[in-house]
Amino acid sequence: MDFELSQDHKVLQSAVRDFVEKEIKPIAMKIDEDHAIPDALVQKMSDMGFLGSYLPEEYGGAGLDMLSYAIVVEEVSKACGSSGVLISAHTSLASGPIYTFGTEEQKKKWLPPLNSGEKIGCFLLTEPGAGSDAGGTATTYSRNGDHFVINGSKTFITNGGYLGTGILIASFDRSLKHKGISAFIVDLQSPGVTILKNENKMGIRGSYTTAFAFDNLRVPVENLLGQEGKGFNVAMDTLNGGRIGIASQALGIAEGAFERALAYSKERKQFDQAICEFQAIQFKLADMWTRIETSKLLTYKAACLKDAKKNYTMESAMCKMHASETATFVTKEAMQIHGGYGYIADYEVERMYRDAKITEIYEGTNEVQRVVISKLLLS
Amino acid sequence: MKLLVCVKQVPDMESRFKPDASGVWYNEADLAFRMNEYDEYAVEQAVRLREELGEGTLLTVLSIGPDRVVETIKKALAMGCDNAVHIQDTTVSAKDPWQIASIIATYAQDKQFDLIFTGMQSQDRGSAQVGVTVAELLKFSCTTTIVGFAYDSCTVTTKREIEGGIKGVVTLKTPALVTCQLGLNIPRYPTLPNIMKAKKKEIVAIQVTDFMTTESRVTTTHFHSPMKKSGGIVLEGDVGELVDKVRAILKEKSLVLR
Repeated sequence: MDFELSQDHKVLQSAVRDFVEKEIKPIAMKIDEDHAIPDALVQKMSDMGFLGSYLPEEYGGAGLDMLSYAIVVEEVSKACGSSGVLISAHTSLASGPIYTFGTEEQKKKWLPPLNSGEKIGCFLLTEPGAGSDAGGTATTYSRNGDHFVINGSKTFITNGGYLGTGILIASFDRSLKHKGISAFIVDLQSPGVTILKNENKMGIRGSYTTAFAFDNLRVPVENLLGQEGKGFNVAMDTLNGGRIGIASQALGIAEGAFERALAYSKERKQFDQAICEFQAIQFKLADMWTRIETSKLLTYKAACLKDAKKNYTMESAMCKMHASETATFVTKEAMQIHGGYGYIADYEVERMYRDAKITEIYEGTNEVQRVVISKLLLS
Repeated sequence: MKLLVCVKQVPDMESRFKPDASGVWYNEADLAFRMNEYDEYAVEQAVRLREELGEGTLLTVLSIGPDRVVETIKKALAMGCDNAVHIQDTTVSAKDPWQIASIIATYAQDKQFDLIFTGMQSQDRGSAQVGVTVAELLKFSCTTTIVGFAYDSCTVTTKREIEGGIKGVVTLKTPALVTCQLGLNIPRYPTLPNIMKAKKKEIVAIQVTDFMTTESRVTTTHFHSPMKKSGGIVLEGDVGELVDKVRAILKEKSLVLR
């Protein structure tokens, strides 16, 4: 058993790190203040290939693997959780399902503009009355000639504000519960799509979280993703892969906060010594680092299992749950180590503390992750 | 046209350095390594020329060192070099600049390179001797610390740094070697698709013993941390008083006011 990254992954990690250090870190606070990631940064991340890391080269992706993708999201999130989730939602939740469930025609049509960043992807599952319970989807579709007609609403859609390409989950007949659900590839520039609002949030403020209404949105039949009535499988499989992305984002946020806390503990002096000389701070650092390391091991393991085409449902649920709880723990302790300064917006741990919380909630709440894990243990 | 760029892998300069067991070099355990900063300018300039000249030009990257230097080689390949030579040497840090230059020159002598790019110096040893010595051994024309570069039909025009902030223009005929300085260019980031493409590029591994022709001429006898600086002095008082105190200190402890 070798816990070292391969040389290729190290080259990638170092390249992403350099990019993040120069292009993202200096503007991360401004992204939070402005509630927006500058278009120029989205373009630069696209040029770097961050938006198509594990998709094959024939569809305009970089052709790397899931572990590379996890490293990209992690490194970006060390500086900016908003930019991290942009990549994660785009790749895992839009390009991912098209690649996994799409026909050859669909892949050729939809993946290149996603991989190049010309279109930003999103996943339209959550509704005002259905989040973790995908079977409760109330957005409906009906067939009308060579189109499906979609009516309903979606909420909390990460990346929705870009109006790019969405994977939309809708039900044919609500009484059929999850058996009535299908998935569609949707061009969000189409007539019938309305943005109700972009939410104002506690953290990851640079990321769009959008509410949509769909009023007779017409989707060509060839945009059905996977088989009709099998949309629940598409949704579950997509979330499964997406959890690795969110775990990587949470891991990155935790590492970013840890780096700052460690540095600050060496600089800050109280009672004539650096506060890192106090055992109270040393124990905090030890706890933080241990949780970061276990989160990393779990996240990388889940990514490697997916790369090896092995079952990774348990690991993706565990890494998402553990890394997100690590993120909230580490950012909280990082703020504590900073004392009063940590509570001030000028110090980045304040932002990281706010950014961390969502990772326990989205992509399946941690309560749902515990359901997934325990069900597998008892099955 | 054949181009060569020589790169060295060095520790991250943010690292904490401690002497190793031999006491003549730093302990490499737990250090993170990366491409020498000046070599990044060299790679970038070589890749730009390679792109400018297009097909028919071959850009090779060379590095000497243990297995880990392959990471640096791969970065250069991802930046746009066509192929690579890894001269395998687990004791590279024990060799002096003369030996390193001799190894490179022995490798390059029958390869008909038209132009060789190196960094101005390495960030760890900082001798700034390897590039110029390679040029001397190969009888190439050479200029150092370049901050501007242009190539046109066998003529290289460089701008180079001279003492006192003055820049000089040096024109060389190929075959030539240039050593690259900060300010020459902004090295590109290796993109993910190019990192993927780099995986398919050839890296030829050769044992350093094949090119070892010389003994070292310089021996390192001791490696130690810099002396600790004495603590500073904080002056207090009104402005006039402060100026007097500063004048007195400068007079006593420096040459500024004599």
